[in-house]
Amino acid sequence: MFAEIRGLSFRYKNSSVDNVKDFNLEMNQGEVTCILGESGSGKSTVLRLLAGLEFPLNGQMQINGKILFNEDKFVLPEKRGIGMVFQDYALFPHMTVEENIRFGLTNLSKQEKTERIREMLELVHLEDYAKRYPYELSGGQQQRVAIARAVAPKPSILLLDEPFSNLDAHLRQSIREELNGILKDTGMTSIFVTHDREDAKSIADQVVILDKGETIGKGKAIII
Amino acid sequence: MVSYIVKIKGGVNLRSGSSIKRSFNLWGMLSAFFAALIILPNVDLFGNLFVQPNENWYHIKTYLLKDYITNTLVIIGFTGVFTVLVGSGLAWLISAYDFPGRKIINWALILPLTIPTYIGAYTYNGILNYTGVVQRLLRNVLEVQVSPKWLDIMNIQGAIFIFAVFLFPYVYTVTRAFLSNQSASLIENARLLGKNSLEIFCQVVLPISRGAILGGMTLVIFEVLNDYGVVSYFGVQTFSTAIFKAWFSMGDIDTAVKLSGVLMTIVISVLLLERGLRGRKKYSYTTSKVRPIVRTRLRGLKGFWAFFVSFMFLSLGFIIPVLQLLVWSTLTYKKVLNIAFLKLLGNSVVVALVAALIILGVAVIIANFSRLQENWVGKLFSKVTLLGYSIPGAVISMGVILFFVDFDRKLEWFYKALNPNSITLVLSSSVVMLIFAYSVRFLAVGYQSIEAGFEKVGKKFFEASRILGNGVTKTFFRVDLPMIKPAVISAFALTFVDIVKELPLTLILRPYNFNTLATKTYEYATDEMIHEAAIPALLIILVSIASVYLLNKLGEKEGI
Amino acid sequence: MKKRRFAGMLAVLTLAGAVLTGCSATSSTTSVQTKSSSPQGEKTSQVVNIYSDRHYETDKLLLEEFSKETGVKVNVIEGKSDELIERLAREGKDSQADLLVTADVGRLHRAKEQGLLQSAESDTLSKNVPENLKDKDNQWYGLTVRARVLVYAKDRVDPSQLSTYEDLTDPKWNKKILVRGSDSIYNQSLLASFIAVNGEEKAKAWAKGIVDNMARTPKGSDRDQAKAVVAGEGDVAIMNTYYYGLLLNSSDSEEVKVAKQLGVFFPNQTTTGTHINVSGAGVTASAKNKENAIKLVEFLSSEKAQKQFSEANFEYPANPAVEPSDLLKSWGTFKPQTINLTKLGENNKNAVQIFSQVGWK
Repeated sequence: MFAEIRGLSFRYKNSSVDNVKDFNLEMNQGEVTCILGESGSGKSTVLRLLAGLEFPLNGQMQINGKILFNEDKFVLPEKRGIGMVFQDYALFPHMTVEENIRFGLTNLSKQEKTERIREMLELVHLEDYAKRYPYELSGGQQQRVAIARAVAPKPSILLLDEPFSNLDAHLRQSIREELNGILKDTGMTSIFVTHDREDAKSIADQVVILDKGETIGKGKAIII
Repeated sequence: MVSYIVKIKGGVNLRSGSSIKRSFNLWGMLSAFFAALIILPNVDLFGNLFVQPNENWYHIKTYLLKDYITNTLVIIGFTGVFTVLVGSGLAWLISAYDFPGRKIINWALILPLTIPTYIGAYTYNGILNYTGVVQRLLRNVLEVQVSPKWLDIMNIQGAIFIFAVFLFPYVYTVTRAFLSNQSASLIENARLLGKNSLEIFCQVVLPISRGAILGGMTLVIFEVLNDYGVVSYFGVQTFSTAIFKAWFSMGDIDTAVKLSGVLMTIVISVLLLERGLRGRKKYSYTTSKVRPIVRTRLRGLKGFWAFFVSFMFLSLGFIIPVLQLLVWSTLTYKKVLNIAFLKLLGNSVVVALVAALIILGVAVIIANFSRLQENWVGKLFSKVTLLGYSIPGAVISMGVILFFVDFDRKLEWFYKALNPNSITLVLSSSVVMLIFAYSVRFLAVGYQSIEAGFEKVGKKFFEASRILGNGVTKTFFRVDLPMIKPAVISAFALTFVDIVKELPLTLILRPYNFNTLATKTYEYATDEMIHEAAIPALLIILVSIASVYLLNKLGEKEGI
Repeated sequence: MKKRRFAGMLAVLTLAGAVLTGCSATSSTTSVQTKSSSPQGEKTSQVVNIYSDRHYETDKLLLEEFSKETGVKVNVIEGKSDELIERLAREGKDSQADLLVTADVGRLHRAKEQGLLQSAESDTLSKNVPENLKDKDNQWYGLTVRARVLVYAKDRVDPSQLSTYEDLTDPKWNKKILVRGSDSIYNQSLLASFIAVNGEEKAKAWAKGIVDNMARTPKGSDRDQAKAVVAGEGDVAIMNTYYYGLLLNSSDSEEVKVAKQLGVFFPNQTTTGTHINVSGAGVTASAKNKENAIKLVEFLSSEKAQKQFSEANFEYPANPAVEPSDLLKSWGTFKPQTINLTKLGENNKNAVQIFSQVGWK
């Protein structure tokens, strides 16, 4: 088993009930997992917990034998080696596309970094946009930069928060295919969050359905 | 390996803590250290709050306090409303519209802050009184004798006018910094929804920049509450009159401190109440897709009006008084100006520069800690920064002296070890004490601006950076700091300008033979020699203009 | 591009940090060095440290003169007297200040009361400063005198109508009197002297009477009162001779014109005398350079210095051997109040309370 999450639960500071209850998940390498749920179901919170942006109440997580959190251990987000694409991308406005992608690259020589950035730009088909600033790009282009930035440091898992929510309906299908392509190309183990069954069907290998923080369904995408 | 893993003892901590916060002990420790440094000199003052009041206290309470409080509230109320309307209105005009002269007015509107309010009061009275240019013109040229009452500025309305025209830039600067990079879509959306400019201003701009506006207004109110120069010259009795009456007239500093404490308590509770009302509403971007606002071009008559309105406030708060000071300086420069002024200039610039940099460092550290640590500790530290600004400077200075004298006595053995002939009061007879006091006093000014900057940026970028492998500190330098740079620049400008003109602390805490432009101005002004005071006052203004101009250039280059 | 910018920000921040951490260290060493090279800290070396609330050019010139003559270096901190006294008190025995100079005798008295001054005996001083212008324990000596007089509009007021301070409470002056606020130490000392001369009851009645006759709510400086007389807001103003002198010598011709339309009247010449206040100096209890401090006071009370105070600063000399300047003499000679000036300090608080009781803003 590549990655494993057991008994994860969480409660926001001002909340009286658990916002995530006993969440469990197993993933094989290269698998695409979809967390499906209405807004407020806790699906984005799960992503934030996996990324280390929130502190779990209980539970444990490990990837490839490395523990990320359990009863007495909590690895800080910058040390987890997990990538994340935010719902609104959070591209640094003071940096160009190239600089955004370079941002997460460490322990590489200058040459290796340049090479890696080139690869990434190629992957997301933005070779000509390296020097642009984020606000000079369309929504779809911004998303691709965000993906390139997240994938560049070769994370063990890629998390995507509502990757299709900000896009026009007619673009949706093509972006889905594109994203699917990128994920398959890189062989990246990934989890994405959506409220749209179609998204889940078209990309995911397995699906987890959340409602009010509880897992109410789980299985191969085909079955749903 | 171990270093990046934070140990958690059992489930208790897991429940109480939330997320990332454990990791920045360094930031927390620094913040706590600075907070302690701010609080320590004031401990003495707090202690005084609980001492049995004496007869002076009762005397002031019986005969004076009611009128004084009424006057204070009237002045604060009107000044507050005027500065908010003028300051935020101009900030909006400058941020959202393009019109002739906008570029210059954009940065020039901070200039009224370069004039110490008491000099502003002397100057306006000098313009309007019997020997002033207005009456002189009427009398000698037009041969009209007007009743002096019509031109009298020495009253409560006059004081409000002075505060409003010289202090509105606090609101203007903080609000403009907030709006300058404001997520444009909100405003464009409002436009598309068929709202006109006024509606956008009232329904969108004011609410979203409420935090910034209130931050600026807080500074205005503190500035007004602590003023003694303007109100005592105009014969208006306010709360600070009571404080200084107790101290200067009755020789009773304990009662003065007690009154300051009461004042501070009231002010801080009002601020906390405001925070409470604002509740958990957040005014930062809901989206992290930031792009600069596209300014609408105003042409023809509209453009002229935009220019006229902003130019009018610039004139009232800056051009008119400066012209008057220039005229006066031509009367006296031969007598007053000499080479010694270079030394004064140097002293003023160096202490202000050092103190402003310290303030920026401390403000950025505490603000960053406080926004990431979303709990009472963070809020407490954030409130502590206001402490120094909420008490009259003269009162703080006494706490600072006591603190440093104590400190020096504890270090006496060390001084003697270095130099057997050393005096005891080494630090407290050096400029360190003065710079320390500046930092305590004006931290609030820098902090308000920087906090507004952080509030605007929000936490999304911080989180993105963390996930991309950067720790809190690295993230701070690579992401947060560049993003709040406009706020840092305006914080620097505000604090620098404030310190260059600062008087009460400089006067009482300076070392032997240490004079600045502000103390020189005071020397003449207190002796009713306003014509002579014009020269050092103009130099203060000149230094401030230079700094504001340079910072603005810097900001432009960086595309802010 | 981005790198350079970042480096710039970093530099600024490091500088701030360095200043923050390093500042205290460096400056303490520099100040220690200053001390070993300059005489400030050593008892044997020639220096005198002053806390002064007199900001006048004349004072600065005289201090320079003193340094030149005696080789004693003079270090000064100028401030407001109350704050300087408080600083002195808080520094306690370790204070470096040797001499406290104030423009008001009440403040010197207050410092004495707090035990911040010490007696300084000197034959020269007993000779130069008359008995009523110094402390009975020789803790402070008066140096210059200012009279609080009446100035009137020459075109509207016949000086024969004027007589005493008390007369200003007469209904004939209703809405005619101009005077500044009660936070002015000059007014406080004036009322304090009346308490000493006429008793508290009468003093209070006087203050009440003035409030009833005021032409406007008190505001502005002494100079502003003079201008208001000329502007016609009132007929008579209570102000210091010193400020009248300044107005008469203003760099602004319009102000000179104002001064020329005014007359100076010394009240109470046939009764208790015109109110005077003195600037003075006292050696601090913690003085490390007592001898030099006394030497300086002696110098300031010397004929030469006294003459300069009178000529350049429009103040009456304390030293009876020195004639007032011609300008001062042109206003006429006058009989001053004869009370011991210590009374001004003792009655100050009482005066302040009376002011707020009768509503003198």
